[in-house]
Amino acid sequence: MNNLRQITTLRAAAVISSTIIGVGILSFPRYMALAGNSSAPFIAFSGVVLSFLSYWLLASLCQRFPKESLFVFSRRLIGRPLATVFTAVILILFITLTGITTRQFGDVATTVLYKKTPIEATIFLMLLVSLLSSRRNVVKFSYIHFFYLPLIVGSIVLTILISLKSVDLLNLQPILMSPTLEFWNGAREASYLFQSSFVITLLIPFMEKPKHAFRAGALAIIMSGAIYVLIVIASVGMFGAEETKLLIYPTLEMARSAAFGEGFLERLDAIFIIIWVISVYTTVYTTYYISAYLMQNLFALRDQSMAASMLLPLIFALAMLPPNVFEAYKWILHLGNAGMALMVGYPLLLWIAYFIRRAGKEASS
Amino acid sequence: MQAWKDKYTAYVHKQQQASPPEPDKSPLTGNLQADLQALQARLGDNGDLVVRDFQLFGAHQAVMLFFSSLVNTEQVREHVLKPLMAGPTGHKEIPEHMAGMIHYIWSTAVQVTQGTTTTDISVLPDAAVKGELILLIEGVPEALVLDMRQIDMRGVEQPQTEQVIRGPREGYVEKLENNLSLLRYRLQSTDFRIEISPIGTRTQSRVALCYIESIADSGLVAEAMRRISMIDTDGILDAGYIEQFIEDQPLSPFPQVQCTERPDKTVAALLEGRVAMLVDGSPFAVIVPALFNQFFQTVDDYTERFIMGSLIRIIRLIALSFSLFFPALYVSVISFNPELMPTEFAVAISGGRAGVPFPAVLEVLIMEVSMEVLREATIRLPQMIGGALSIVGVLVIGQAAVGAGLASPITVVIVALTTIGSFATPAYNAAIALRMLRFPLIILAGMFGLYGVMIGTILILNHLLFLESFGVPYMSPFIPGKWRDLKDTLVRVPLWWMRRRPSFLHAQNNDRLSRNVPAVHVDQILRQEGEPSEQSPADHNAARSRRHQ
Repeated sequence: MNNLRQITTLRAAAVISSTIIGVGILSFPRYMALAGNSSAPFIAFSGVVLSFLSYWLLASLCQRFPKESLFVFSRRLIGRPLATVFTAVILILFITLTGITTRQFGDVATTVLYKKTPIEATIFLMLLVSLLSSRRNVVKFSYIHFFYLPLIVGSIVLTILISLKSVDLLNLQPILMSPTLEFWNGAREASYLFQSSFVITLLIPFMEKPKHAFRAGALAIIMSGAIYVLIVIASVGMFGAEETKLLIYPTLEMARSAAFGEGFLERLDAIFIIIWVISVYTTVYTTYYISAYLMQNLFALRDQSMAASMLLPLIFALAMLPPNVFEAYKWILHLGNAGMALMVGYPLLLWIAYFIRRAGKEASS
Repeated sequence: MQAWKDKYTAYVHKQQQASPPEPDKSPLTGNLQADLQALQARLGDNGDLVVRDFQLFGAHQAVMLFFSSLVNTEQVREHVLKPLMAGPTGHKEIPEHMAGMIHYIWSTAVQVTQGTTTTDISVLPDAAVKGELILLIEGVPEALVLDMRQIDMRGVEQPQTEQVIRGPREGYVEKLENNLSLLRYRLQSTDFRIEISPIGTRTQSRVALCYIESIADSGLVAEAMRRISMIDTDGILDAGYIEQFIEDQPLSPFPQVQCTERPDKTVAALLEGRVAMLVDGSPFAVIVPALFNQFFQTVDDYTERFIMGSLIRIIRLIALSFSLFFPALYVSVISFNPELMPTEFAVAISGGRAGVPFPAVLEVLIMEVSMEVLREATIRLPQMIGGALSIVGVLVIGQAAVGAGLASPITVVIVALTTIGSFATPAYNAAIALRMLRFPLIILAGMFGLYGVMIGTILILNHLLFLESFGVPYMSPFIPGKWRDLKDTLVRVPLWWMRRRPSFLHAQNNDRLSRNVPAVHVDQILRQEGEPSEQSPADHNAARSRRHQ
């Protein structure tokens, strides 16, 4: 009963996919349309493939150390000082990510639906809820994601299905495009959304079958990737590429124009936003949780709840830092670049160290 | 009998004296007067303490001592006093030595089913207050303790808080023996275990722990015993006391053990692999572990056919979410997002709200609080007055509040729906938790609109997801998520489809149905009655008999 390895592969996949589906879902079609006009879905798909590769790099490494998290075995591979520096960099990355994600959420919430609520209150409440739930252990953490995922996926898929009837296939042609610089930039940007799959490093020591870590992530990325691609298809197909570029939140517009029969509720987008709050919560919760976990490990704090509480003012200040919506989006792109470099570079470095050590061990024996 | 005034002076006099002597471990002396005095000193002056001295077989000085309030005096006269005074009846002679006297009396004279002998005087007072009769004989350093306890109790009645349309009508009563017999009568299995031990330094209430040995997880039984053994208090007056000592999270609004008045419900829980606790003097059984989904299930779900049972269960779930969310959603839509309503409806609502002087949140809060007051007021009134008062409250006050412009008609509708919804939740303790949680949700809705409701909902759901009852996640089986266990949650599948016990209880024996029962296929269910089966006749018969169950 008190077995620590309680997280099944399915539940790990649920954690990753509910983390990936988050705040970005609203503006994602715009970026894809900007990068590739009518072939936006193709770019999104390429982004999914890219993130799939980077996830493979990370997960297959972690699978080799089924008993420890990344931050523990990295010390053995590259030495304590260097590992600490990298852990600190990852910590800063995730703290900033949490802050800016919450900020983005606040911007959307105040401009679209909760006009009378001050953005500070919106952000603070969201962080507070994440803080309160960040005190629990990893198994409970996975429960939360597992419970909310059907709600999130179900409502998004429903919205997509309803709006698919107004898709004009002409808007989606040509489907393919030649791999220009724009294409790669777009694909890279798309893959940023999947960076939170990093959470697998926390889960592996608690998984029933750590060897299935890659499988879990693959399942999650395929599922959430499919949702993202479908959203791009639906909104670009509905509005056309040029109009999608002009909309700040194309997905929301899509939900708005999806009438639900004659309708007891006049606007479906409100329901969509309500569910979207949950999906943002699961995302912010994960990044908050990773930050608190790293902070506790880095400073050897006694418990995670203390680390989580200490983070709250810092993250809140970070969230309030960008002066406007556009700055916030610029920040998130920079963060994405930095994250990309780290998420690819660091596992690569560890892989190299791993092979060198293994070669050394074989030579000595 | 002394007059009250004499009693008063004697009491004051005794208080001024030194504290009563500590219970001594000394053995009985055999000196009747000395032993009797020591006993009476411990028991004190009690109006219902009977000390009856008599000549044993017309030859020996003897005394019997008991509480007339706990013992049937007529039975004492018939089965103890009469044979002892009359002398030997059978062929056996009275022993020469006094040493064999106690054994002789026990084996030939008294006609009582349970009794012990003891030489320790310190256990005698406790035996007396439990309803046992003590017999002391001059010259014998041993006492005979006879179980003569008889307490009058109300008879078995229909349970007040858990009524059913179809199902047994018996409910627990206060007396533990009766309740245990109600259980044994339904569960005639050699594996059924009842462990009884007293708790409470003063009340010595007997607590019974029931489980089925070959089903219940031994870890669960051990954990229940461990938690009960940690209870160290002076009095347990009801099963609710036990609940508060053993629950996982006292600060949670949600009940983490299940209380029931129904023996059939208890047996069903035992068969699933749960553990039940009963307390002498309480008409409630406490069942652990308790999960959220148990609180909207009733006996009717299982006794009625499964389609109706499932539908009614879904309706109950809707009612439950009504009672939690409806007022908060109303407040946030009215004050923050009126554009969500269809235009004609919004016009009608704002027309109704035209004269109301308060903001929507205050209006709803006032109405909800007065509804709670009304509910609390009627709940303890005698039924004749209660009915009248609730009519006055609902009809007159509601109508007058709208007429006076204090509340809009739609608010009254919302409040009424909420209250009715909360009454549709079968478990009172869970219903009250949800009813109270709607107040913070209303306030959040008034402050932050739909976003506040959402945040509040996430907080409540997270709390439920984090909560555990005896090591079982409270939201099982939704999390950790086993498809097999979902058969008895939002819907109830047919009994012949629930082949296994719930996996989260870690039962030792997992099979509900015999393994010989063939699995039922969908085409068998959908096949028309009377249509010939393509399978062998034996299978056909099995399917038929199953359908007729």
